[in-house]
Amino acid sequence: MDIKLDNINGVAIVTVGGNINMDNCNELRDAFKKVLKDGKTKVLIDLAKVVFIDSSGIASLIEMFQNLEKVGGKMRLCHVNKNIIGLFEITKVHKLFGIFENREEALKEF
Amino acid sequence: MIIFDQTIPSDMSGVTEFVSAVFEKLSFLSFDEPTVFNLKLCLHEAVVNAIKHGNKLNSKLRVRVIIKNEENKLIFEVDDQGEGFDPQSIPDPTAEENILKCSGRGVFLIKNIMDDVQFQNNGKTIKMVKLLKKEEG
Repeated sequence: MDIKLDNINGVAIVTVGGNINMDNCNELRDAFKKVLKDGKTKVLIDLAKVVFIDSSGIASLIEMFQNLEKVGGKMRLCHVNKNIIGLFEITKVHKLFGIFENREEALKEF
Repeated sequence: MIIFDQTIPSDMSGVTEFVSAVFEKLSFLSFDEPTVFNLKLCLHEAVVNAIKHGNKLNSKLRVRVIIKNEENKLIFEVDDQGEGFDPQSIPDPTAEENILKCSGRGVFLIKNIMDDVQFQNNGKTIKMVKLLKKEEG
C-alpha cells in the first residue's frame, strides 16, 4: 500500500494506492492517527489508485469516520472505483461517507 | 471437476498473494473485471475468516481451498481446522446498531456477491457458488 499525505487549504488529503486489506490496513490507521494528531478535522481520502479493498479496509475507513465525528470533523472520499463503490453499497457504508467524483468536487463540500 | 485444490498455512501475510495466484490459474474462465474483483474479494474474505476466526491464527493449523467447475457454476470451498461456529450468530452489519462497527462485514459481502453460500461441517467449511454465464464456463 502507498500512502501520501498532503494539505490543501486546511484539508488533509490522504492519497492511497494499491490494496487495502487485513494485512496492511494498520498502515492506513497509522496515517489517519497522524492526521488526527496534527489537528486536522477535514480529511479527504483519495482512492484513485486503490485496486482492492476488503472488509478490514472498509473497517479502517469507518474507524476514521468515527474518530472525525468525535471531534466535529468531516471525512470525504473521492476517485472511488465502481467495484469498491459496489462493496460500500452492499454494506451500506456509502451512506456514512460523502463520495465524490474528484478532489475539486469533494473540496467544495467541506 | 476439481480445478484447484491447495492447502495453505494460517499465515495472514500470504493471503493476498495466494488469492492472486488462484485467479491467475482461473484466467481461462474469461470473467469480466468486476466479476474477478468480486470473486477475489469473496475468496479473500473466506480465507481470512478461516485463518483468523477458524484457526485462530494458529500456525499449526491449515486452510484448504478447493475450487470446482461444474456445468454452469463455479464452487469455492474453504475449510479450516478450528472449532467451527454458528453462522446464524453473525449480526446484520447494515443494521443501524451495527453500521459503525469495525467488523462483521466479510460473510455479509460473500452472501451478497455469491449466488449461493452454505456453511457445512459445523461452520468449518464455507461453500460459495457462483453461477456462470455460458461464455464463462
